[in-house]
Amino acid sequence: MIKAKKTKLLALALAAVCAFGMFALAGCSGGSSDSGSADSSSSESTTEGPSGAISVISREDGSGTRGAFTELFGVVDDNDVDLTTTSAVITNSTAVMMTTVAGDPNAIGYISLGSMDDSVKGVEIDGVAPSAEGVKDGSYKVSRPFNVVTGAEVSDLAQDFLNYIMSSDGQAIIEEEGYVSVSENGAYEPSSDSLSGTVSVAGSSSVTPVMEALADAYMAVNPDVTIEVNQSDSSTGVQNAIEGVCDLGMASRELKDSETSQGVSATVIAQDGIAIIVNNDNPISALTSDQVKEIFLGNVTDWSELA
Amino acid sequence: MKSIKETIAKVLFTAAAGISILAVALICIFLFASGLPAIGEIGVLDFLGGTTWRPAADQYGILPMIIGSVYATIGALIIGIPIGLFAAVYLSRFASPRVKRILTPGVELLAGIPSVIYGFFGLVVLVPLIREVFNVQGMSLLAASIILGIMILPTIITVARNAIDAVPDSYYEGALALGADHERSVFRVLVPAATSGIMAGVVLGVGRAIGETMAVVMIAGNQAVIPDSILDGVRTLTTNIVLEMGYAADLHREALIATAVVLFVFVLIINIVFAVLNGRSKR
Repeated sequence: MIKAKKTKLLALALAAVCAFGMFALAGCSGGSSDSGSADSSSSESTTEGPSGAISVISREDGSGTRGAFTELFGVVDDNDVDLTTTSAVITNSTAVMMTTVAGDPNAIGYISLGSMDDSVKGVEIDGVAPSAEGVKDGSYKVSRPFNVVTGAEVSDLAQDFLNYIMSSDGQAIIEEEGYVSVSENGAYEPSSDSLSGTVSVAGSSSVTPVMEALADAYMAVNPDVTIEVNQSDSSTGVQNAIEGVCDLGMASRELKDSETSQGVSATVIAQDGIAIIVNNDNPISALTSDQVKEIFLGNVTDWSELA
Repeated sequence: MKSIKETIAKVLFTAAAGISILAVALICIFLFASGLPAIGEIGVLDFLGGTTWRPAADQYGILPMIIGSVYATIGALIIGIPIGLFAAVYLSRFASPRVKRILTPGVELLAGIPSVIYGFFGLVVLVPLIREVFNVQGMSLLAASIILGIMILPTIITVARNAIDAVPDSYYEGALALGADHERSVFRVLVPAATSGIMAGVVLGVGRAIGETMAVVMIAGNQAVIPDSILDGVRTLTTNIVLEMGYAADLHREALIATAVVLFVFVLIINIVFAVLNGRSKR
């Protein structure tokens, strides 16, 4: 009797699980058909022009990329104070920024030109597509400097590495990595025949990839030299250079007065363009710098206003 | 001979205990020494009560972040407490030994998943889901609350289960003898008897939720404004620090340390509450 009751309960439980499973499946297929219809509506909107509330994606306050972006597009007031709309989603890295824009059809954001890939679409600004060539010939205006920060005293070896970066060999690597060269110096010549020792470089995560490529190439030329590249951030890089913890600091922004007053100076080693990115499904492929400014100020909030 | 060994052991253990206390003391001193002057410079009311966070304009109001932390924690509790409590009751009094053997390591595994993976899961699964269902951007208080609710489950389940297990069997047997069935005995006698232990688990969960950073920063949107709905983005105290610490200099940096002071005070309060509850449950 008791056993029969148990079996009955078990059957009931199984039925419940089945029902729940069916429900979940139905929910899933409902969801996918939803996304299907969303797809078709977005392809429809290709012909009708874009619509929907704009998701403004920004970087954190104080990020080198954000600082350069707001200054270049004038998303600042008369005292250079950042006025990015407070409703903007804040992401704390290039990777999260790209994942967010790649997944949100209504998103707009900005990243370093060197980090661009196919997952997002870089829009033309004032009729010029974002490219290293555009930054170099000055037609693409949205760019910022990459700085190497040196303390009051620079070791001979660190100076030699800096000379390499600024030589035509070093600048060629910078271009290969998708950044823009800044120096017209000649080919690299070692300052002495027997260079050996260690150079430590630390700072900005934006500059780190290109610095690692430069270090590899330099160590191939000077096998007895070790270049250590430590990734942290611009402020830490500058601070380390001030304190002498590293030979060279990396910064993806201009130095602040409070930093230069402590005896460090900056050398621009490259220019980096900033690409304005939207979702691949977004029909918009060109914006004016005024439109970008109004979007990030929060004055334009719907894609239909840009059609 | 024996006394020398004992002395050595005593010194060793005292030193080990001393190091952890020293670490806490040093963190305390560092936080308050570098944070309090900044609060003084900004002004206590402007800092704690200000609603505008614009470091570039020297405006440092952290009220949106305080409210953000509180909201996200409450959201996590709304999701975490019912699930956690029922799971604990089930594991303690209803599950068969075989089910327990599967579920207990499962719960422990949940506790061992690094928070960045919770964040990544939220970013690629939960946020798009919320975007589709509610037709909003998706990075929101809701997303943060759900992820935090899952993250505090192991804490609540483990502590609450231990508390229910610790209730003397005589309570349960007494309830049965008075004619109550199994469910009634568990929910009307055992769970009330374990209340302070369960509360301790909840408070620990609060501590975990309010201190969580990595997962939240990826899915919360991080707008430094007070949210109007659970679908708005939110910035918590912890994410405010981690977002901007890398680039901050001067007063901005000190304001972030001051944010950490506020967070530290929150955690301190939570720990005191935990200690009080724990003491009561032991009695």
